[in-house]
Amino acid sequence: MIRLEKINKTYFGAQPLHVLKGINLHIKEGEMVSIMGASGSGKSTLLNILGILDNYDSGDYYLNGQLVKNLTENQAADMRNQLIGFIFQSFNLIPFKTAMENVALPLYYQNVNRKKRNQLALEYLERFGLKEWADHYPNELSGGQKQRVSMARALVTHPKVILADEPTGALDSKTSAEVMQILREVHQTGITMIIVTHERGIALRTDKIIHLKDGVIENIEINNPETIDFTQEIK
Amino acid sequence: MDFWQEIFMALSRNKLRTFLTGFAISWGIFILIVLLAAGNGIMNGVSEQFSDKSTNVYMIYSGETSKPFKGHGTNRSIMFTDKDIRLLETEVRNIDQVSPRIYFNGFATFNDKSSRVFMSGVRPVFKDINNVKMMEGRFINELDDKNREKVIVIDESLRDKLFDEGTFPLGQFIFISGIAYKVIGVCENLEYSSGGNDYVPFSTLKNITRQSKYWMLNFIVTGLETKEDNEAFTEYLRTKLAHLHEFDPDDTSAVYIRSRQEEYLQTMKIFNTIQLFIWIIGFAMLISGIVGVSNIMRITVKERTNEIGIRKALGAKSRSILASIVTESLIITTIFGYIGMWLGMIAAEVGGNILAKVQEGKEISLNIVPSIDIRIVLMATALLIVCGVLAGFFPARNAVKIKPIEAMNYR
Repeated sequence: MIRLEKINKTYFGAQPLHVLKGINLHIKEGEMVSIMGASGSGKSTLLNILGILDNYDSGDYYLNGQLVKNLTENQAADMRNQLIGFIFQSFNLIPFKTAMENVALPLYYQNVNRKKRNQLALEYLERFGLKEWADHYPNELSGGQKQRVSMARALVTHPKVILADEPTGALDSKTSAEVMQILREVHQTGITMIIVTHERGIALRTDKIIHLKDGVIENIEINNPETIDFTQEIK
Repeated sequence: MDFWQEIFMALSRNKLRTFLTGFAISWGIFILIVLLAAGNGIMNGVSEQFSDKSTNVYMIYSGETSKPFKGHGTNRSIMFTDKDIRLLETEVRNIDQVSPRIYFNGFATFNDKSSRVFMSGVRPVFKDINNVKMMEGRFINELDDKNREKVIVIDESLRDKLFDEGTFPLGQFIFISGIAYKVIGVCENLEYSSGGNDYVPFSTLKNITRQSKYWMLNFIVTGLETKEDNEAFTEYLRTKLAHLHEFDPDDTSAVYIRSRQEEYLQTMKIFNTIQLFIWIIGFAMLISGIVGVSNIMRITVKERTNEIGIRKALGAKSRSILASIVTESLIITTIFGYIGMWLGMIAAEVGGNILAKVQEGKEISLNIVPSIDIRIVLMATALLIVCGVLAGFFPARNAVKIKPIEAMNYR
């Protein structure tokens, strides 16, 4: 599903910063992996490149068999819209839209009509137990609820890949466990999932942990998430 | 359809932002219209004041020669006589009747009341020349002048000084320096005047005071339309008088020729300057309105950078984001510009009515009648709308250029 070949990325600031140094990575369809690393290790940059939110300097990135390179802005927008669902640490919900409207927004950019959009959005909210909250604005929801809204928004377009950037970073341990359980369930429907985190408890609940250090992959740890009770709080 | 729904939603969910942007626009247009209306009001007042009088009144005053001519030296004083009157009346086609104005300073008594009086000896045409408004009775007529009748037209203030509340002045005789004059009319007081607004026939006063030289002649000239006509006529008059009095036709100080048209044009010049000033203020207001709108638009787009980032991450194309922001600003500026325009016009109208009420029946030198040129109003509104949209467009274009990830993390 995802193949990275010798990806390099440098930020040219006052002091050029070589963030990713020739990353090679292969993530198969339906895998659930986590990326760990200290801050500055390049994990967020890697996720942004995977999400086509940022470009890279050299190498090749294949997503769903397509080379993601030198895309126009519109092509990038279309790929994001059709293949990728994003989950962010700070939820990134639009404050003046209700839960339902937020979930329906990606479908708006797929030119799905309003009725269909809202119907689908409601279905997804129901799936995450938020049907009664559909008409509420983000500031009326708890952190866990917001993250569930953003998960519904990520999934409503049936993406191939879910990219989650510290999805539990703003949540307490109990809510984090709930979120991880949902992500696990989503993964079991066959969606490829990549989670960036710095919490080992989160990472252990994925199939593989990719350890990133100073812009290179240090090692890949294989987990056995079946042994973990996902209903337990994350330590 | 969906596009408009999205826009309507964004506007209605962000009421304060929408209102503030709209208010800046409405206010700019409102002030501009009110200012322009006030400016036009002053202009209208001036025009009205002049249309009240006969605009083609000429006045010639005696002066002194400043150039030697045909054996005459300089500093020779040129006074007018009956010859001048005859010359102007018979030889100049555009002049009907010439009225000199001679003065007499005396003391008027009626029964036990008395007052100083400063009276003018004039001919019937003077009623039109000085725009004398009769309250009762009539003005001096040809017969009075021909027969040297001892009749007088008094103004309100002299009437009030000489006659009691219940006394009817018409037909009464008042004594001025030992001569009895019959009151034939009462006229309104003149607004700006140094006196001399009690009128007796020219021939009567001339005979009493034994004057044969006059320093001022007044007449109405017909058929002059433009400034050029007036200038040419003035030159023609000077040549005629130069011939009669033997002074150099180029000597402008020998006689002074003034026309009310000239006076009118001069006043208009002053008020044109005032109007230019009002325009400059209005324009400055418009600019500050544009700057205000632009600033709010800029801040609005900045505020929305996060939203723009999120939308892009979800697959929005730059074009669609740009289109919705520009459409939003277009809607705000158009609706609120329109509101401001109407409020401005209503304010000008209401202000005009209030002013009219206040001015009604009062001795006010200038009636201010606000009015609006709808073309200018529409142009100003259109300009503000275009500027508002551009002000939204440029920052929005910059915002959609930012990478989505940077836009999302923008604080």
